[in-house]
Amino acid sequence: MSLASLTKDWAATSYGFLDASAKRELRRKMLKAIAVPGCQMPYASREVPMARGWGTGGLQVTLTLVNPASTVKVIDQGADDGVNAASIRRFISRVSGAAETWDTLSASIVQSRHRVPEEVMREDQILVLQVPNPEPLRGVEPNMSIARQMHADADYGKLWLTLYEQIVRKGRIMQGAAYPSMVNGRHVMTPSPIPRWDVPKLNMAKHLTFLSAGREKRLFAVPPFTRVEPLVFSDRPYQVEEHAHLTCRRSGLSGYFMNEIPQDNGGSTFEVSDSNLGIKAIQKAEGAPTEIGETWYRDGEYSA
Amino acid sequence: MAYVATRGGEKAIEQAERLFRQDLGPIDAARVDTIRKTMPYLVDRVMGEASLYDEELAALALAQTGGELSEAVLVLRAWRTTQPRLAIARPVQQDEVLTQRRISAAFKDIPGGQILGPTLDYSHRVLATDVLEGKPFTPPPVDSAQAPAPVRQPSLAEWQRQQGLVAPATEPDTAPEDIPDLTREPLLFPASRAHRLQSLARAETGGVLALGYAAMRGYGNAHPTVNELRLGEANVVVRHPRGTEFSAGRVRVSQAEVTSKEKGGYLELGFAATFGWNEVKVIAAATLDLNSAEAPVGSAVHEEFYLYHTESVEASGFCIHFKLPHYVTFQSVLDAMRDAKAKKTAADAAPAETRQMEPAE
Repeated sequence: MSLASLTKDWAATSYGFLDASAKRELRRKMLKAIAVPGCQMPYASREVPMARGWGTGGLQVTLTLVNPASTVKVIDQGADDGVNAASIRRFISRVSGAAETWDTLSASIVQSRHRVPEEVMREDQILVLQVPNPEPLRGVEPNMSIARQMHADADYGKLWLTLYEQIVRKGRIMQGAAYPSMVNGRHVMTPSPIPRWDVPKLNMAKHLTFLSAGREKRLFAVPPFTRVEPLVFSDRPYQVEEHAHLTCRRSGLSGYFMNEIPQDNGGSTFEVSDSNLGIKAIQKAEGAPTEIGETWYRDGEYSA
Repeated sequence: MAYVATRGGEKAIEQAERLFRQDLGPIDAARVDTIRKTMPYLVDRVMGEASLYDEELAALALAQTGGELSEAVLVLRAWRTTQPRLAIARPVQQDEVLTQRRISAAFKDIPGGQILGPTLDYSHRVLATDVLEGKPFTPPPVDSAQAPAPVRQPSLAEWQRQQGLVAPATEPDTAPEDIPDLTREPLLFPASRAHRLQSLARAETGGVLALGYAAMRGYGNAHPTVNELRLGEANVVVRHPRGTEFSAGRVRVSQAEVTSKEKGGYLELGFAATFGWNEVKVIAAATLDLNSAEAPVGSAVHEEFYLYHTESVEASGFCIHFKLPHYVTFQSVLDAMRDAKAKKTAADAAPAETRQMEPAE
């Protein structure tokens, strides 16, 4: 036995970039976040070789979860080849040796900015959402210390009032993405800016979801089979974006969340936002062997 | 596969980075060395904001980012965070600093004397265009004083304490090795004194200046008098496992102490220190520290406000992230807006008597 056989070769950084002390802290905070669903856990949030606000929170969680047997999918706005998604996926794979994929069905970890994939995620998959602003109360209370106290007291009156005022002024709730949602009947969270279309996918889901804000140093989680209920009044039902009737100009898919593409001659056409779902639909139409998983929405209707 | 062919994110980002690096040209040790030697104040600023004292690495970061300061700081911080914390140095005491410049605006003269040291304060800021005309500038030699200034200078606040002008120093209730480390734990509020000063030490110079200046102009409640401003070098004293204390090297440091008015029979002091020589930053930061005690929540001199908003890596990162596509969230906003407009149009078109009024609750 020699010293060389007991030690590892020198490397510039630890496995998965983050060092053991950073990962230990993250694991503790991630477990805590699972234990108290929807509650924001502060963490040190180390610098990573990527600018803050570009997915550093999601990246730290993914780097803590990843192992050489993982298969990682990274999407931005639903697309796997968005420039930043490509950059993050390349980095994760380089520092961890994990396999890369565009296919939701074959991913063990899906890191995403602003979307939940359309195909139903399974018990053995983890969704990591990148979060710019983890605080649903920021709009009504910019001071973090006061907002923390409000969460502790479950004091969400100001949020409800904002939603009510929107109905009075505009005839409907004007909240776009990041719709405030009650988790496990206790903590209101912002489901990161995913569209309203995607929020029902987190409710009683089979998969675990982590939401991590690197810049703001907060992470929270929605464990499997946990209630996620958008804040709505009993006489004003929750409204997702009216995309059910739109058809993708490339894949012919309809009934999914779409990107609107403005046209020179006025008007718009649409492309399915979950880009790999579109690719798979095209491949299937061309006769290639492709598996499309069950989707959360069927014919434009959410069906859990 | 037409869907895929029209995209090509991976190739685009690689070529875009190549274009940036091509514009900067090859980087070698000589270029890094030139930056380190000719731009010491820039190197100091970057080391301070990165909270990593290594002139060579800071110069390298400047070289590889072409002097894009927020990028240079980010590169250094990302490198720093992967490094193990080998030892914790003994806290630096003011009267141990190998002082090269130390001034006070509070008194005409102070024990130990006013030591101007290297400064541009009294220079005429004239651009040396002669250099471009082919006449190199050679700095005139410095005439030595009759007696050299003492290397170590006492702390003015210590003299003020003896006179009963400043509250007695309290014994620290935390052992030096247990002082919380901002780079290993999150900043929470109310922040510990250690976290506040650490956060200011690594804050973005321009950001601290802007908020400190706002406080000085009148948006704060205390107008600063510079009690003591000090530039010097501090020994990094660490303990060998066998128990011997030794200096592992020296770092350039700046520190400022500002004071204002009396509170509870004593002068209040605001303090800031940072790696490298950066006078503007420490004076502005000490002013923010001084103003914090009575700052209204939400004001620019409240610690939560200025500590969050002067964090260089977070602020610059978030600012540039708005270049990322946001079309999903935008689509969500458009959907709500179009629906609200359609509802209004329908309501306006309906006969007046059938219009639904919002029930008053």
